Amino acid sequence: MRPILLSGHERALTQVKYNPDGDIIFSVSKDHVVCAWFSHNGERLGTYHGHQGALWTVDVDPTSSLLATGGADNTMRLWEVKTGKLLKTWEFATSIKRVEFSSDGKLLLGVTEKRSGHLSTIVVYEINPDPAAEQTDEQALRIVCDESKATVAGFSYLSHYIISGHEDGSVSQWDAKTGELLFSTQVHEDDMQITDLQWAPDRTYFITASKDKTAKLVAADSLDVLKSYPTDTPLNSAAITPVKDYVILGGGQAAMDVTTTSARQGKFEARFYHKIFMEEIGRVRGHFGPLNYVAVHPQGLGYCSGGEDGYVRVHHFDKPYFDFMYEVEREQAQAQANL
Amino acid sequence: MSRVAGRTDWAEEEDEDSLQLPQQQIIKNKDGTETIITYSIREDGKKVKTTRRIKKTVIKQIVNPRVAERKHWEKFGSDKGKPPGPQTDTTSVAENIVFRPVSNWKASTEDKNETEKKKASLKEAKIKCRICSGDHFTTKCPFKDTMAPEGEATPADMPDDAPQVGAAGAGSGSYVPPHLRGRGGAGEKMGGKFDRDDSATLRVTNVSEFAEEQDLRDMFSRYGHVTRVFLAKDRETGRAKGFAFVSYADRTDAARACEKMDGYGFGHLILRVEFAKKPN
Repeated sequence: MRPILLSGHERALTQVKYNPDGDIIFSVSKDHVVCAWFSHNGERLGTYHGHQGALWTVDVDPTSSLLATGGADNTMRLWEVKTGKLLKTWEFATSIKRVEFSSDGKLLLGVTEKRSGHLSTIVVYEINPDPAAEQTDEQALRIVCDESKATVAGFSYLSHYIISGHEDGSVSQWDAKTGELLFSTQVHEDDMQITDLQWAPDRTYFITASKDKTAKLVAADSLDVLKSYPTDTPLNSAAITPVKDYVILGGGQAAMDVTTTSARQGKFEARFYHKIFMEEIGRVRGHFGPLNYVAVHPQGLGYCSGGEDGYVRVHHFDKPYFDFMYEVEREQAQAQANL
Repeated sequence: MSRVAGRTDWAEEEDEDSLQLPQQQIIKNKDGTETIITYSIREDGKKVKTTRRIKKTVIKQIVNPRVAERKHWEKFGSDKGKPPGPQTDTTSVAENIVFRPVSNWKASTEDKNETEKKKASLKEAKIKCRICSGDHFTTKCPFKDTMAPEGEATPADMPDDAPQVGAAGAGSGSYVPPHLRGRGGAGEKMGGKFDRDDSATLRVTNVSEFAEEQDLRDMFSRYGHVTRVFLAKDRETGRAKGFAFVSYADRTDAARACEKMDGYGFGHLILRVEFAKKPN
């Protein structure tokens, strides 16, 4: 496969996201600008200007009409995808580390950073899906994380729960209606920050990536760890691929040590693991900095990764990716074909 | 190539040549294909006839209408007004990557080969301790504090400016602590401040060939004021030859540096530091 290299950002990428149809990629970086790209050829559709600080997070609603971003300028913003128009700005006391729409696009969640005098919170807003409509200032829900600060969060299936990953390696389950803490469990090692949480397509389970060098597949209902993927490097991101049962993990040497390590030692590769067998099946190299985020095409046709090196690399999978099967899988497929 | 007779203006030459080219021909064949014949002039001035036979097939692709609509969206932000298609300043195609998932994949073969090669080469190179002849570095020797290097007199017996046989760093002439040095009958050294005071000069050997004088200065100035650093360099390649001299203002600093820096890993090599000997 020939990756497409997107070089529109001047600083390290922090998050990349496909829209639900998989034709547009949104990328945010520390250079204050949001970029939208066509995924098939890497053409840049446009840029969204307005943020005054590094951007940490981006998410797009299910209809690809609204875009939410959050950054270090203590604001969460809502944009019209088509025109790049800023629709709404919510201001906070601290920076926004994560935003995510619910699967129906009616709710928007934001995770605020913990800083002197301010605890980390998860805020939820009701969103009017019409770009022309006025958006509310009123928070539908506000969860204060007083134990350990939340780093990532998302809505489970049917917006039933809010699942949050924390700095201390624990994962919490909150009632998305009342904000009540239902359950909390230590998924990753103590004091190893959870760096990413991405959902399976049906949002009944998710994958977490952590600085403890592992990624774990966790059920949304019970918070049971279903699968664990150990690696040899701190992870920044993990994604579940549809169509094929793989997971993609991204990470690498801590950003501050990058200049002192060679690309090979830095382990700046996307690692592919088989989701069920928990076995590494391959790596894709290319970045010369740690991978800060990996996102998978919602139809499973490719993936893209944003690196500390300031590039987004868009990969379209080719035949060997789809053909690969374990012996048992092949036997099973054959048995089914014979029926 | 035919030329118009009586042509006088050389500047028209090119134009006339291009005018001479026959029109492109498109012939529709019976089997549904098309033959396109074009003429062009090559760089060397020869006329080239290109015949291409093309079969056109219509491929119907069903695309998501939302996706199709988005493809025609106007560009905005920094890309406002830019023509459709990827722009070269923001989008490029990287080199091809072969990605072939395999079961029981192990840290990709080439990576392994390299590390393994290094390991193998290290295994082949025999490491011999100068103190106990064991297969470890001298600095790692468990007896390094209690025993003197093999085949050498104890430092106390050895006058420091005794003529040494053998090249620098060849295993002989190890470090003699400075407090013992004067006692061996070489007391005249302390008083001998004639030309250059070499009593506080260290000879550093086994220096990496990529070392710079500044590196050494930085390392050695940790132990005191360094007055002079001389790194021998190859005149042609400009690379370090592997040895250097470091002078301190104070001999006690030099002694301390000597003690600390001997066996210090710098670059990929282990430094050997000793007091410089007077040229005889």
